[in-house]
Amino acid sequence: MSLNKFKDRNVGVQNYTLIEHEAFPQTGGEKFARVLKRTIKGELFVGLWVTMRTMILALFNGEIHTVKYPFEKLPISPRYRAIHDMLRLLESGHYRCIGCGLCEKICIADCIKMDTKYDENQRKEVTEYTINFGRCIFCGYCAEVCPELAIVHGGRYETASQQRASFSIFDDMLTPIDALKEQKEYPGFGAVSPNADDNIKKTPLAY
Amino acid sequence: MYEMLLYFNGGAMMSKIKNITVTIDGKTCHSEFGKTILQIARENDIYIPTMCYLTKVMSIASCRMCVVDVEGVDGMILSCQEPATDGIVISTNTPEIYKQRQSIMKLYDVNHPLECGVCDKSGECDLQNKTLEFDVAQQNFTAKDQNRKVQNWGHVSYDPALCIMCEKCVRVSTEITGDEALQVKFGGYNSTILNVKQDKNYASLGEAAAVCPVGALVDTSFKYTSNAWELTKIPATCSHCSSGCELNYEVKQDSILNSEEKIYRVTNTYEFSSLCGAGRFGYDFENKDVTKDTDEFKKAVEAFKVADTIRFSAVITNEEALILQRLKEKLNYKLICDEAKGYQDFLKAFGEVTGKNLYSANLKTISDSRAIIVLGSKINNDNPMVKYHITMASKHNQSRVAYMHTIEDTEIQNIVTQFIKYEVGSEEGVVALLADRLLKDIELPVKKREFLDSLDIGYLSAESNIGEEELDALAKSLIKKRGFSLIVGEDLYSHPRAKNIAKILGLIETYTDFNILLTPPSTNALGVSLICDLDKEAGNYTIGYNSTGDYILSATGDGNLDMPSFNQQEGTITTIDKRVVVTNVALPYGGYTLNDLANICWLNHEYTIDYTKELPTSKGFSAVEFDLLPNEFSITGKENRGYLLTSIKVVKDTSLDEVEDLPDYDGLVVYRCNSVEQFSQFTSKTTQLKEDNNLVGSPVFATVAKIKDGDRVKFIVNDIEYNRVFKIDTSMKGTIAINPTNDMGLSSTLVSSYRYSKLKLEIQNKNVSS
Repeated sequence: MSLNKFKDRNVGVQNYTLIEHEAFPQTGGEKFARVLKRTIKGELFVGLWVTMRTMILALFNGEIHTVKYPFEKLPISPRYRAIHDMLRLLESGHYRCIGCGLCEKICIADCIKMDTKYDENQRKEVTEYTINFGRCIFCGYCAEVCPELAIVHGGRYETASQQRASFSIFDDMLTPIDALKEQKEYPGFGAVSPNADDNIKKTPLAY
Repeated sequence: MYEMLLYFNGGAMMSKIKNITVTIDGKTCHSEFGKTILQIARENDIYIPTMCYLTKVMSIASCRMCVVDVEGVDGMILSCQEPATDGIVISTNTPEIYKQRQSIMKLYDVNHPLECGVCDKSGECDLQNKTLEFDVAQQNFTAKDQNRKVQNWGHVSYDPALCIMCEKCVRVSTEITGDEALQVKFGGYNSTILNVKQDKNYASLGEAAAVCPVGALVDTSFKYTSNAWELTKIPATCSHCSSGCELNYEVKQDSILNSEEKIYRVTNTYEFSSLCGAGRFGYDFENKDVTKDTDEFKKAVEAFKVADTIRFSAVITNEEALILQRLKEKLNYKLICDEAKGYQDFLKAFGEVTGKNLYSANLKTISDSRAIIVLGSKINNDNPMVKYHITMASKHNQSRVAYMHTIEDTEIQNIVTQFIKYEVGSEEGVVALLADRLLKDIELPVKKREFLDSLDIGYLSAESNIGEEELDALAKSLIKKRGFSLIVGEDLYSHPRAKNIAKILGLIETYTDFNILLTPPSTNALGVSLICDLDKEAGNYTIGYNSTGDYILSATGDGNLDMPSFNQQEGTITTIDKRVVVTNVALPYGGYTLNDLANICWLNHEYTIDYTKELPTSKGFSAVEFDLLPNEFSITGKENRGYLLTSIKVVKDTSLDEVEDLPDYDGLVVYRCNSVEQFSQFTSKTTQLKEDNNLVGSPVFATVAKIKDGDRVKFIVNDIEYNRVFKIDTSMKGTIAINPTNDMGLSSTLVSSYRYSKLKLEIQNKNVSS
């Protein structure tokens, strides 16, 4: 596709097509006649019957479709992109984030910020990590760019709160240490592809 | 190979410049004989990749990336060290060369840790760039991995696993900063960089870290705090000494919890210019959390109405100096600047002999010199950048360096070829002796010859303690050399006989090949000297601007009304190179400025920088708008920063006074001198620069003064009382002790008196530290 289409900023000369329609009613009488014609039709009673049938089935056969939210919730797609989760290493329990800052850089809403420092073990340590959920557009780039699969999208879609900051503290997003065993590799954005094993190459190290 | 290179460079300097024409990649390039192929290519905007090449040091030739093909020559030529000859045809990029370069990159990548994610250099890394440029997608070769620990050397940290052994850091440490702390430990794959002077923790190693093409050497304070691409670069000028080095303040928000901006690090155009440790690590001197205090501002205005004197520090922009001068013209204030007054008078007397208002040398002429005399300055402490340029001259041109001072400085032993010690107070005699020797065989006007003939050489020699054989040796070393520099320091400006000293020096400048550099004693001493008419005596009510007074405006927060510090304001300063350079706002400032006060006091300019174009053209400034002044280096290293002052002719008055009897400074003497990389109350405020606020003397001094290492002593110099711990420095000799002043806050600017004072010590308590 050539870029000429995007470079044409001369929006004044586009070909508009007029839609054909009936003549508009002119007098008061004609307008009233149109209201009646649109309102009273046989289909009205078809609709009323559908409602009544569902009501009868619900009342007497127990065939009800309403989900009693928030007491019950429907399962959501694994690829749904809601509030982020920060994962831990299964072996050591240490958080996976290495503080590389790629999520901070790629974020198109500019809502991720992190503070890092030089720690006692002469390694890079993440001291503070926030996502501004007032700005986040849940695009999933951060999860996709993360080289450590440390940040992923979770299933927490209930994001109404008095303060959006409530969701953005690093420790809140991090898998609780006692729930480490339940931590699942996320199948959605940023996850290892199903055929990842096939793509692994032998390292060239000869020893 | 070096000898050959030197021969070529030397040849180019000595003989007439020979023009040559070479063809690079089909492009005809005109240049001069003596330049390397790489230099000519860069001048003509032709790209040759390099890994180890650094313009400001001698070519290292460790990377072999810069190979080119020369028609008719077998094998590949290293373009970084091969001078071009006339008529050669060069191709910089053939498939074969590409393959060669690709192989080099493959070897560089052997076992290079894949930790770009956390590496500080990521995003501005030469290895990253070249690896991508030469399409090296995997590590093709292997070697047994070694366990190499990260080493914390204080100001900088070294990660040997990331090091590619390009040797740039070693060269910078030997050829530029001259600390000679870094060495290469050769051992093939086990090669590494050693810091042989770890105990000294040189801040100048920051320059070695700056040139590191990978993340092996980084500033410890910056390490792992931010990715390079998150930082905003503010092009500015270092405000600590008169060298006015180019630098970038790199700023970002302080942290997630504090959105105020903070300077994370200082970088520079390391390819062509350098930065001393103070410039690199002394950046956090800003006046924080200042708001507009309207009540205090009213009081300040009242103070200006009562005052008859303004006393200010020379750490000031040209524009502010001009504001003060304008205030003087309108409201008849007396202007006192202790740091610049002596210098102004000295410059004036010097100009009366030379006929020009400025001296002739600059930093470039020093590094190009073949013989250098340093007189009256502990140059390593007074101006590191001058010392770096002396080091360059010494290492690149084998320059002779004569260091004339009262105290031997072991820190610059490696570059000084002759140390000439003279007695405290005998500077006038020393300069006369020097003039007599340097002007010996030169034709002079009768009166000047008479003056020199009338000198009592025997007396001067005896009293100043300079042997004739020492001057003979000095004069002998100058024979058959070209390019001389005489660097003059602060000791002379404040000397009671400064005027005559300046005039004798003027003779040397006028009648010999020596270029004289009058090192400005403080950041903008030269600018203040040119812009302001300074007074000697203060009046009854003084306003201090970063100095003492009855009402104080201070950028360190020590005064009544806050002022912006240098990294919070824009403006220009005049450097040692006689160049007017630009600095910009790196950090926000919420308070009042001097211009706000001046606008109340009947001056009318919206911004301080509106004064830039009004700087006095009669003194050599140009009428250029601030926003039009550049602040950068060109791709070939040409300094496009601000503009150069033009030298203005002044009225001559060549009458010389007779040399007076030399004063006697027997007994204990104290020398006013800040520790290395400490200059002012502002460097004193920074967190990373180490500060030794001790009275430092030799073992002899301790014996004479009857004190021991660690004793607490009290003494008064120039009406300022000092309480110091005495420390013995075994490398020192004689009865002169060194006393820093930069930690004394506002009164650290009161330095108008002679740098040496007789000392009366009062011992307070013994051995507090032991």
